[in-house]
Amino acid sequence: MTATPESVVHPSSDAEVAEIMIDASREGVGIFPLSSGHRAHPVRGERPYLELSTTRLDGIVEYEPADLTLTARAGTSLATIDEALRAHGQWAPFDPPNVGERSIGGLAAVGDSGPLWMGYGELRNHVLGMTVVTGDGRMLSLGGRVVKNVAGYDLLKPMVGSRGSLAVVTSVCLRVYPEPSVDRVLLLRRDRLSDLVAAAHSVGTAPVMPVSSVLVDRTGVNESPALVIRLHGVEETVGADQASLEGHLGIVFEQAPSATALCTAVRDRGATSNVVLVASALPSALSEVIRALERLEPETIVADTYAARFRVGLSQADPEAVGNARASIERLGGTLRVARFPADGAEVGPTSEPSPAEKDLIIGIEKTLDPMGVLWPARSRR
Amino acid sequence: MTRPLAPDVVRGLTEIVGAANVITDPDRLLVYESDGLSAYRVSPRAVVLPGTSDEVAAVVTLLHLEGIEIVPRGAGTGLSGGALPTPDGVVVGTARMNRIIEIDPENRLARVQPGVINARLTEATQPYGLFYAPDPSSQSTCTLGGNVAENSGGPHCLKYGVTSRYVTGLTVVLAGGRIVKLGGAGRDSAGGLDLVGLFVGSEGCFGIATEIEVRLLPIAEGVRTLLGIFETMEAAGHAVTEIMGSGLLPAAVEIIDRATIEAVEASIFAAGYPTDAGAALVVEFDGTEAGLDLGADRAEKCCFEAGAREVRRATSEAERAALWKGRKKAFGAMGRIAPDLLVQDATVPRTKLPEVLARIAEIGERYDLKIANVFHAGDGNLHPNILFDRKNAEELDRVERASTEIMHLCVDAGGTITGEHGVGIDKRGYMSLVHNETELEMLRSVRAVFDPDRLFNRGKVLPDPLAET
Repeated sequence: MTATPESVVHPSSDAEVAEIMIDASREGVGIFPLSSGHRAHPVRGERPYLELSTTRLDGIVEYEPADLTLTARAGTSLATIDEALRAHGQWAPFDPPNVGERSIGGLAAVGDSGPLWMGYGELRNHVLGMTVVTGDGRMLSLGGRVVKNVAGYDLLKPMVGSRGSLAVVTSVCLRVYPEPSVDRVLLLRRDRLSDLVAAAHSVGTAPVMPVSSVLVDRTGVNESPALVIRLHGVEETVGADQASLEGHLGIVFEQAPSATALCTAVRDRGATSNVVLVASALPSALSEVIRALERLEPETIVADTYAARFRVGLSQADPEAVGNARASIERLGGTLRVARFPADGAEVGPTSEPSPAEKDLIIGIEKTLDPMGVLWPARSRR
Repeated sequence: MTRPLAPDVVRGLTEIVGAANVITDPDRLLVYESDGLSAYRVSPRAVVLPGTSDEVAAVVTLLHLEGIEIVPRGAGTGLSGGALPTPDGVVVGTARMNRIIEIDPENRLARVQPGVINARLTEATQPYGLFYAPDPSSQSTCTLGGNVAENSGGPHCLKYGVTSRYVTGLTVVLAGGRIVKLGGAGRDSAGGLDLVGLFVGSEGCFGIATEIEVRLLPIAEGVRTLLGIFETMEAAGHAVTEIMGSGLLPAAVEIIDRATIEAVEASIFAAGYPTDAGAALVVEFDGTEAGLDLGADRAEKCCFEAGAREVRRATSEAERAALWKGRKKAFGAMGRIAPDLLVQDATVPRTKLPEVLARIAEIGERYDLKIANVFHAGDGNLHPNILFDRKNAEELDRVERASTEIMHLCVDAGGTITGEHGVGIDKRGYMSLVHNETELEMLRSVRAVFDPDRLFNRGKVLPDPLAET
């Protein structure tokens, strides 16, 4: 049974968020936190709930370029943050699909880093602090605005990627970086995706580490499957890194003429398909995972090869085929989950779950932060 | 007063790990009375040294049934008293679990037991062209289990990040002896919650990690190290601001002050730093050989523009070791000046460094204490070290008051009470400076999810011992 929200509330302060959560706890109304208005999954259940939009929690709170830290309220768009950073020659090095349209709170809640994590670390490593409001309306300040902080258990880590299941994120402090002076994008094209796996492995074991390495079925700019490598640095280092990689692989890369357009096309490819699956495995299992996913006859396949994280776009999902793919990938030590559910609410199929022991701990943490279970709509995907 | 363990408990522990690995002899317990925070000493009731995950689980099961507190211990190099025994507790040490289980160069991962020494992992992965990035100053003795518990940092964390960035999976023993696998490099935690990230830095209060999976990185092609000598700390601070603001990404930016230089040069660790200098700045770049001199040239220019008296540059490993020597041996050298050393570990926003350092100097003068600063300047992670003699009760009182003032100062500047050493017992009383009671209560509740009876490392991290009993 798929439910629809009674209405959408738009609080403008942390205190208002807290008030809403306290009221919801008292009235037994569910809350589904939303950031940029994009709902990743249908809410399963029959009880009433409200959507809580963070769009009015907007604006950069603090930005000290010399400290390389920026704090923004949850509803602030990444495009706004990017503009502020670039004015000082800085940037936030993560590149999940459609990053500019997302809000910082939503991105932190989803925990999606994009392939640049190879060079810069995951989003969870960039989130230095957060303010959140728990399911029962407690306002918490987690972490801070310094780059090293071990004062107490690290609640930021489970909060990043918790998808609104623990608390409503109201602001985020990020570690940011100086912009690289050269951003070079290299291409290797072959007729089939599987023909590029050996090269992807070689990149993964090369003495030089690019900032990202992505396999893509079609780039949108080029029509054939490609391995897309990104190098950051100054002219001298990027040239030397390219030569080193080419020596290691025994090939010569094409240099992408329009690096920005290509990277954007690869970054967003298939992210808005009717169904989006995310598979994860070890890089050594790249070939097998590609085989398992190709059996789903996907519209698009994009793989971050550093961690063998695949994003697969499907026009529709056959639950049995998805179940088979999941079983194959889990046998390889990986996972398969749904990142975007079909608009018509159709079943996608069974996806990977945490182990029973992990699940016990997860439920315990959820009960700690949301004792009344107000945030059930955010958890209803599981 | 420490109570001896009941004979049947000792017998039970002996059956699990063997008589050689259960220590109850008071003389042999002496070395376990403290960790790197030597100002506190408590004798444990016993020390148990299991050799496998199953043995850890059996030991924890037995102690849990008896309601006996468990104090996990790695190498005991921690500086916040995290491994300080409790009078009612048994220390469970991981020293025997020192096997590198697997090095997987294809996936750039290693699986290790918790007693593996940090530097040994990097030595073992070197033949594959790989290294383990987090490098606490104690890396030649500290263990990865301890690093996981403390979420350890180190000089090169400026570029590479701290322990939590590298831990991809854990096998942990929780309350009651449950063995639980968390995460794993091939698995996507976004389907659940990042439990690995939560466990890292839990200071032994959640359980004991018995197997650790970490990510490795390729060894950089080259490295350049600079040593800038400055007349004043302020000038060195400006050089740091210039370097970090110029778009450069150094691997490490470290400062030692005049008091530390004097201590180092008067010791057997003398590194050839001029003793009349106000501060010495170590800057290191690593990466592709072709870019290193460019980075070093620009950093050198920043140093001179900030008023450096001289800048030395190392181009060989021997020269590099010489430039680092003063920084790395600073703590050892201070032992010559005073019998005791209180190592602080606050972090402030980098731009506040000059102001905070000036105020720390003023606090030192006011309390008539010698404070020597050694710190990770690029991260804003300060280590103001107060030199004292704990036998002098009046001086100890001044140390405590000065220490509290420094903590308030750093928090007021937008910083925090610990950047990499952990809260342990030492900074527990300062937790309320950075967390309100609602947040502290939340931390207590989250800990209870892992350890409902609060038997693991009771009394550490969270203030108010009443809430812990």
